[in-house]
Amino acid sequence: MLAALFDSPSAMITLTGALVGIAASLLGTFLVLRGNSMLSDAISHSIVFGIVIVWMLTGQQSGPVQIIGAALTGVFTVFLTELLVTTRRVKNDAAIGLVFPVLFSIGVLLLNVYARNVHIDQHTVLLGEIGFVWLDTVDIGGYPVPQALLSMGAMTLVNLAFVTFFFKELKLATFDEALARALGFAPAALSYALLALTSATAVAAFDSVGAILFIAFVIVPPSAAYLLTDRLWLMLVYGSAISVVSSITGYGLAITLNVSIGGMMAVMTGVILVLAFLFGPRYGMIAQVSRRRGRQRANECRTLAVHLFNHEGGPAQDEENVAAALQGHLKWDEIHARHVLRQCLDQGLVTRDGEALALTDKGRVEARAILEPWRQEGA
Amino acid sequence: MSNALHEPGLAVHVEDLTVSYHAKPVLWDIDFDVPPGVMAAIVGPNGAGKSTLIKSILGLVRPTAGHVRIHGRPYDSQRSHVGYVPQRSSVDWDFPTNALDVVTMGLYGHLGWLRRPGRNERDKAMHALTQVGMQDYADRQISQLSGGQQQRVFLARALVQEADVYFLDEPMAGVDATTERAIVDILRKLRDDGKTVIVVHHDLQTVQTYFDWMLILNVRVIAQGPVSEIYTPENLRKAYGGQIALLEGDATLGRDADGKVIPFEGQGKG
Amino acid sequence: MLEFLTDYTIRNVALGAALLGIISGVLGAFAVLRKQSLLGDALSHAALPGVCLGFIVAGTRDLGFILAGALITGSLAALFMLLLTRNSRLKTDAGLGISLSVFFAIGIVLLTWIQTTGNASQGGLDSFLFGQAAAILRSDLWIMGGITFATLAVVAVFWKEFKLVTFDPVFARTLGLPVLTLEIALTVMIALAVVVGLQMVGVVLMAAMVIAPAVAARQWSSRLEVMVILSALIGMASGVSGALVSALGRGLATGPLIVLAASAAVAVSLLFAPGRGVVWEMRRRAANRRSLRGQRVLTTLYRLAAHHGDSAYPSEQGMVDAYYGIATAPVMRRLQDRGLIQPVAHAPEPTPHWVLTPEGIAEAERILASLGAQEA
Repeated sequence: MLAALFDSPSAMITLTGALVGIAASLLGTFLVLRGNSMLSDAISHSIVFGIVIVWMLTGQQSGPVQIIGAALTGVFTVFLTELLVTTRRVKNDAAIGLVFPVLFSIGVLLLNVYARNVHIDQHTVLLGEIGFVWLDTVDIGGYPVPQALLSMGAMTLVNLAFVTFFFKELKLATFDEALARALGFAPAALSYALLALTSATAVAAFDSVGAILFIAFVIVPPSAAYLLTDRLWLMLVYGSAISVVSSITGYGLAITLNVSIGGMMAVMTGVILVLAFLFGPRYGMIAQVSRRRGRQRANECRTLAVHLFNHEGGPAQDEENVAAALQGHLKWDEIHARHVLRQCLDQGLVTRDGEALALTDKGRVEARAILEPWRQEGA
Repeated sequence: MSNALHEPGLAVHVEDLTVSYHAKPVLWDIDFDVPPGVMAAIVGPNGAGKSTLIKSILGLVRPTAGHVRIHGRPYDSQRSHVGYVPQRSSVDWDFPTNALDVVTMGLYGHLGWLRRPGRNERDKAMHALTQVGMQDYADRQISQLSGGQQQRVFLARALVQEADVYFLDEPMAGVDATTERAIVDILRKLRDDGKTVIVVHHDLQTVQTYFDWMLILNVRVIAQGPVSEIYTPENLRKAYGGQIALLEGDATLGRDADGKVIPFEGQGKG
Repeated sequence: MLEFLTDYTIRNVALGAALLGIISGVLGAFAVLRKQSLLGDALSHAALPGVCLGFIVAGTRDLGFILAGALITGSLAALFMLLLTRNSRLKTDAGLGISLSVFFAIGIVLLTWIQTTGNASQGGLDSFLFGQAAAILRSDLWIMGGITFATLAVVAVFWKEFKLVTFDPVFARTLGLPVLTLEIALTVMIALAVVVGLQMVGVVLMAAMVIAPAVAARQWSSRLEVMVILSALIGMASGVSGALVSALGRGLATGPLIVLAASAAVAVSLLFAPGRGVVWEMRRRAANRRSLRGQRVLTTLYRLAAHHGDSAYPSEQGMVDAYYGIATAPVMRRLQDRGLIQPVAHAPEPTPHWVLTPEGIAEAERILASLGAQEA
């Protein structure tokens, strides 16, 4: 059975994609929550610089030494960005957009000069090709395991360990950095560790999905998860689940349409995000609109009750507490006014006598609660 | 919505105004009238909707119900007669421009689409800067100005519009005493010239000295009218609930019929 | 050497780079001031599907169709981002990242789809990804030039409105300006700038071209008018120099060279711009520290003399050193150069001694008086 699994390119590709997604979204959850999503964009691009330097120094195109180099480059990128911000002459978003293009450019130029004949080129680094992961295999226990699967598997385990082990600290550092620092959790160090791991994951993922699709996996599933739940650990679970689903559906669609597999997987993360955005049970658009509609209805009735109460027994009562006033004074259009009036009548807050409107006792209690809350507070 | 004048005798007439953010009401059925030529304060606890009230009057926030008239006409047709001084924090002051330029921006409405500010506009802007005592800072970078100076520049920007009604949102918050006095003097002069000045004011203690009309607001109207009548411990307690400590005996919170100050006689902390 | 400059391709590339520099410099100023620096990044990535669509519709590499496609998908991405951030708990950075990566992914899918159809001219599409300046045709330049000219004209005509909307959109609204329309116009123009530059520098680097010239220009100027013009000039200079160096034929890609030129301008500006530059600030601080030290030492000498009731009291340098914990010899020399103190011999002690001159006494008294006034 296992042999069949390893022999199936589709299984290998899908599995690798899923691992990229899980590894990326575990870390991405914290980046999104802190508002640092675009740092993943910066890191993914500037890593080209690290890859070229490491290759020039060691001749290795992949493997652990590249991963360490990537981690260092990522940290370096963020360090430079923050340095720019401390000069107080460059804003945060501008700083990000200044640093990574410089590193990327240097990387590309070095490639132009020194790596003309080598397989590293911008194309692969930026775009990757997950379709080929099953070609490059390593023999483990008699099974041909794709190299990419191994490194992604390792990376996923490392990220999972990091997130699990430091869950409390990460949670606190994300939501209350000052407190975290006061408690000695070193949020700055945690932050850099997070970014270093993101960089390492990026370079491990490059063979499969390339830099820019990696960004999709870092940002989109966690964002979708954020729209679905309030609990941090659930966000991590949902993010991983969404990555897996995107991987499988993306692969299927890509094969059917004969297009980029990695691209399709990333597109699917977007599709799921849109679904969450629209249909999320608590934070989805539809849920929000219907909740708002409900509240608006309730408020409109109360608005009318308050209005009637304010002018009850007062000099303008004949003018204000009539049906026509809903349009004249409250400025509601005819249909709207009729709707609200109907509702209030149904809810027993208002009675109608010809044109005049009057509050029932229930309506008066309602209006009082809004206008004179201090009455309830004793005194 | 007819264009006939509706309550032209009032500088500001707010009727049945209800405003909600995301279906949560922030202002309930506000009836608020300001006679012309007064200096009015809007006070209330944080979150009372004071800024929102001003923003809905100025058309920056859409009300759920109700309407507003400025000197009898809807705000849209009266823009050139209304000046606005927003909170200082509403802007990033690290923008490449100088004080004179900011004040000139107040004239963009008068200039219309294609005309450029010329000598005439420059002179008007300088005049407004002089009115607030900032003429020496005309070509100073705004990021180099202190908080009080920035506030004055904002005030000059409104003055240059030569409006009839001025709305100011917490103009004296976080400024030094000199600037505060200067601002009050300028506002008083406007009032004496027959303009109407309406200020969201953050400091209860100075309401009686600075203003002659007030509105106490906490999501709904608590009380409004001349300061001498409205500024009572009763009203303040209603507005601030437990958030206010009324000092017994020391602070003067009421005046008797002869205008003599009477100490507050109440039970403990309000 | 001169033929090099008159070479057809090189002229095209240089002109294209100049146009790119100008339009991204001008619009970039607004983007940076509105804190939308990374919008250029998102728009350039989102342009890819549009480039592919333009190609599919036109059936061939037609710059007009391609740029139109890029503009449309770029605008859609901006709209998508707006929808996401306005109607959910997602923040701006997440909105940017989502738009950027998802639209780009769609672009990749379309790109591979085009590749499977085996259309012969699709090889040129790659140039939009990485920038291939040499692929620029004379006809392309007309389109780029037209867009640049039109955009600059709009910015010039509505200059004061754009300025106010960028600085204080709320106040702008109270003046009756259609703020939303103006903001949309700015976003569309930024998208146009991105689209013009895509062929020269590619998707990844376009972000920098919208940001770098503007950040550099900001350091030199405190007026928006000057900043925008300077930004255009820096953009143009970076573009042309990058293009020319690339044309020297060493096989160096144009895009990275242009970006490095612009970034060098940023570095130089951040460090050396008068008034705002980091180096200037450091020198100013050092000068302040020096003058403060001089004041302190002088007043100490004065106080010593006063303590001993002798205006010609010779203070021993070593003692002053010990008092301040530093070697005061350079400070003493500077005070001497200003004519405030004089060295004097005080036998039998071999170490240097200093005595105040009448000017020194007057200066010390002036400093103490002003300090006293502060403390009062």
